[in-house]
Amino acid sequence: MSATHHHHEEQDFLFKYIFSQDHKMISKQFLITGFLMGFIGMVMSTLFRLQLGFPGESFWAIDFFLGSWAENGVMAPDKYLALVTMHGTIMVFFLLTAGLSGTFSNLLIPLQIGARDMASGFLNMLSYWFFFVSSVIMLISLGVEGGAASAGWTIYPPLSALPQAIPGSGLGMTLWLVAMAIFIASSLLGSLNYIVTILNLRTKGMTMTRLPLTIWAFLVTAILGVLSFPVLLSAALLLIFDRSFGTSFYLSDIYIGGQVLEHSGGSPILFEHLFWFLGHPEVYIVLLPALGITSEIVSTMSRKPIFGYRAMVTSILAIAFLSVIVWGHHMFVTGMNPFLGAVFTFTTLLIAIPSAVKVFNYITTLWKGNIIFSPAMLFSIGLVSTFISGGVTGLILGDSALDINIHDTYFVVGHFHIVMGLSAIFGMFAGVYHWFPKMFGRMMNNTLGFFHFWITIVCAYGVFFPMHFLGLAGVPRRYYTNSEFPLFENMIDINELVTWFAIVAAFAQLLFVFNFFYSALRGPRSSQNPWRANSLEWTAPVEHIHGNWPGEIPEVHRWAYDYSKVDENGEYISGEDFISQVVPLGPNEKDGGH
Amino acid sequence: MTTIVLENNDYKKEIKQKTAKPLLWIGLVSIVMFFAGLTSAVIVSKGTAVWESIQIPSAFAISTVFILLSSLTFYLGENSLKNNNIARAKIFILATLILGLLFSITQYLAWTELYKNGVVWAGSESSAAGSYFYALTALHLLHLLGGLISLLVVSFKSMKERYNEENLLGVQLSSTYWHFLTALWVYLYLFLIFIA
Amino acid sequence: MVALVAIVAVLLIVISAVQTLKIAELWAINKGKVIYEVTQKQNKVQALLMLVFLVAYFAFFAWQVWKWGDLMLPVSASEHGVVTDRLLNITYAFIIPVFVITHIFLFWFAYKYAYNPNRKATFFSHSNKLELVWTIIPSIALTVLILFGLSSWNEIMTPVDSEKEHVLIEVQAQQFSWSARYAGADGKLGRAGVEFIEGVNAMGVDIKDKNSKDDKIVRGEIHLPVGIPVQFVFRSIDVIHSAYMPHFRAQMNCVPGVKTQFNFVPTITTEEMKKITNNEDFNYILLCNKICGAAHYNMQMDIIVESKEDYEKWLAEQKQFAEN
Ligand code: HEM
Ligand SMILES: [Cu+2]
Ligand SMILES: [Cu+2]
Repeated sequence: MSATHHHHEEQDFLFKYIFSQDHKMISKQFLITGFLMGFIGMVMSTLFRLQLGFPGESFWAIDFFLGSWAENGVMAPDKYLALVTMHGTIMVFFLLTAGLSGTFSNLLIPLQIGARDMASGFLNMLSYWFFFVSSVIMLISLGVEGGAASAGWTIYPPLSALPQAIPGSGLGMTLWLVAMAIFIASSLLGSLNYIVTILNLRTKGMTMTRLPLTIWAFLVTAILGVLSFPVLLSAALLLIFDRSFGTSFYLSDIYIGGQVLEHSGGSPILFEHLFWFLGHPEVYIVLLPALGITSEIVSTMSRKPIFGYRAMVTSILAIAFLSVIVWGHHMFVTGMNPFLGAVFTFTTLLIAIPSAVKVFNYITTLWKGNIIFSPAMLFSIGLVSTFISGGVTGLILGDSALDINIHDTYFVVGHFHIVMGLSAIFGMFAGVYHWFPKMFGRMMNNTLGFFHFWITIVCAYGVFFPMHFLGLAGVPRRYYTNSEFPLFENMIDINELVTWFAIVAAFAQLLFVFNFFYSALRGPRSSQNPWRANSLEWTAPVEHIHGNWPGEIPEVHRWAYDYSKVDENGEYISGEDFISQVVPLGPNEKDGGH
Repeated sequence: MTTIVLENNDYKKEIKQKTAKPLLWIGLVSIVMFFAGLTSAVIVSKGTAVWESIQIPSAFAISTVFILLSSLTFYLGENSLKNNNIARAKIFILATLILGLLFSITQYLAWTELYKNGVVWAGSESSAAGSYFYALTALHLLHLLGGLISLLVVSFKSMKERYNEENLLGVQLSSTYWHFLTALWVYLYLFLIFIA
Repeated sequence: MVALVAIVAVLLIVISAVQTLKIAELWAINKGKVIYEVTQKQNKVQALLMLVFLVAYFAFFAWQVWKWGDLMLPVSASEHGVVTDRLLNITYAFIIPVFVITHIFLFWFAYKYAYNPNRKATFFSHSNKLELVWTIIPSIALTVLILFGLSSWNEIMTPVDSEKEHVLIEVQAQQFSWSARYAGADGKLGRAGVEFIEGVNAMGVDIKDKNSKDDKIVRGEIHLPVGIPVQFVFRSIDVIHSAYMPHFRAQMNCVPGVKTQFNFVPTITTEEMKKITNNEDFNYILLCNKICGAAHYNMQMDIIVESKEDYEKWLAEQKQFAEN
């Protein structure tokens, strides 16, 4: 190390690893916590898949993991719902909102825009710790009397408001609400920081139109979060009032457990409106960061500029804008005014346009590229595939006339797992493989990565594609078993197949876990810019330092996508197939791909 | 991996100067969305359920006067600081604090008035309309509590003469938040009149 | 003991994996040129796998359609269902080609443009023309889908004209059963509410209301006349349920405190459907499709569609509310 820096070996362990305010450390904390939660969510899904594939059969694994929830290794019907609810909650919020945004916004925003750190390191640290506490409470709720929340991740009242209706709506639901309130605080603190950092702390020359697409995605995601999470908080708060203080915001005309309840004048539909005002933007909060990450990786690993940078930004903005005016497509059969239904169908189908633009732009970026299949690139291509496969079925669900018959069936489960679940998780894996050297200074193992990708994508489609067929046969979601209906007798084969794929998929994730920890400790050391990428994070030293760059922050002179740029003679301008953002423009060179 | 600390650790201060205000502003946006969620809930409920009409307690009008005045005094106090008139600033900031407390007290009085009129918060006698009245005003007051705490800090620091025309950031943040609460109250008050 | 063996086994697996990985890494470094951290050979294999996957994915898709196609819902047993099924087919005709073509491009390009040291990637950063094309084409296709979809939607959602001949049925959901009430001879349903629930009056019908006297309450199954519009009114007395009748392409939530409605014209009798599906035991069902508690998975009621005469005969046998 040069003489201008001095070591701080004595720096308190506590403040370095635990209460760190450094964005790079916080990013790792989010990653590890998010993955841990995701792993728990995945184990849950494997367990209830066992029940669905082999209804009523006893399993050692179910007995082992669920204990009193499963007598003789067969889970109880209401505990099935508890598992589904917790699985959905954990996957959507803890893994793919906090885990994904928290990790990559934190890691990449300061590094890619050229800032020394987040706007407020303190709020950033707080954001992580709220997330942590919220995770802990959510997990504790699994063990309380009556079991965890069981009303589905959408917690519609009255089911979620009345312990008489399902045991999980007792203490379990209270803890769910408390955990989510803290989670929302965490998410808001994060979003504040991301927005302000991007708007105020860009380095010299880093204009908005030179921002990498990752940053655009993080920015818009954070804005969506600030606009929609507070509304979820208000919805949850009113639910807390109804549950604990006897108000009637959502409840009316209820006869349960042999008596008429005191509540009157409330409307359960109100909750659905408030919930989905967050709920739909939430799926883009989950998805956009993944799309941003992929844009970056597809371009870098194709050695080509991302095709249609401006169109990509515009479509992110358009998707975000539309996403806040489509929430009613979750409520077509609630008895809503048909005219309103028509409006929501219209706005929903419009989202297909910017989404299609993004897909076409990804594909065109591959065209005439020089593609390197790093594991990150594989997952990015996988994302484009899942985004298409899951996206096209959205045209069916978004059409109110068609949704009547498939709403709440397994078709929906297939659709959203592919378009949101798989896409986001693929984006997250891609991000980890790609930026692992930036996080840990070491490389992950490619061979394991290849196996991880191929097994995962095959099994993932094996799990979720058949679900469309179940749905088209009329099988409802959130059913403990399909064996009660003669109509669904023949579905058992499909369910069994799906379960086998789910089990293999779950085990395949161990490849990743192993690769991750092995490489973090023992992996080959990485060079400063292993992928030969243009963006700013690769100009920072491999060793993590507070403030990110020793000395001055580099100045930016061009956009992040000058790959394989050639001069009139067809020779690379820089002599190599990439030009870092910090390299000044040549005399005849234009910026931004013109 | 070794951690190297930059010799020049001043960037933290610089970042703070640059970002404290935008952070607050975006925080305010999220509070706006929170109340937007609640007030649109009111509108949805009003459209679907039986809506009981409620008499607006007169104490809310008095609250409104107090909070408007408090914004004025805070503004004057901040201005005095800008002009380096520390003595005057102290008086105005203290006045703001007192007006803020008076606002809280009149809110409480308004609730007792509501209660006397038979509008209850919860239980079999309650209606959605009445519950919203309590919920909206109480949640505003909760946010005001944050404002009061920041005012306490500001008052304390101004007593100690920690502020001057160069060093105003703390006061500016606190006053922005305070004016926001005033505006929020005015909005809620008009909204309550509208839905009553 | 089992746990101990399991732990030891896992440990052994991890250790051997670490060793294998070490060896593999040394191997990879010695073998072939490394480009951007990926060896040429690895890169070629991955490119090939792209093609293999493309084919396998389509094959899987086709296999599912072939294998499970028959398990899908039979032809729609309601009038509007025929229209929405056609709309569904039109949508398929649009999305399946999109799905296939984009996937071909995606994986074919990935294969074709795998890294080649002798080639340079083309610096192609945007093209207004292309981008315009693929904004406009989806827009046109969507316009068609939206127009068709909305006209069907409006038609389905319009309640039955009360002047016309129709059957009026109120369906009440509760944990975990359904009950139904036919409007009776006067064609009007009497008032009902949770406050009237008592003893046998499980649907909470107001005895004092004169319209309720001739209402007929049934449980277990409902009968519908073929060819006559049926107007459903839905209620719930506890949590949200959803009345889902897949064969009729019909679904509506049952919400406590709110009355919702849906209507359709049954077109195929149960007997005819037995023939169509080649299944002697076939029965139309109404099932719950909104998570509502532990036994949500088993909340059903049979629906029997029959000729008008049979229906009227059955109805005449049901007791009037006043008789209870
Ligand atoms: C290991 C892979 C996964 C498997 C096998 C799996 C399986 C399932 C199944 C079968 C259901 C439906 C259960 C039912 O309706 O009865 C479900 C629900 C759900 N899953 Fe997953 N899932 C997986 C990963 C994910 C991921 C990555 C996400 C993130 C978006 C996710 C989010 C959800 C949500 C939101 C629900 C709905 C929960 C509810 O109905 O309340 N899942 N999962
Ligand atoms: Cu949505
Ligand atoms: Cu039900």
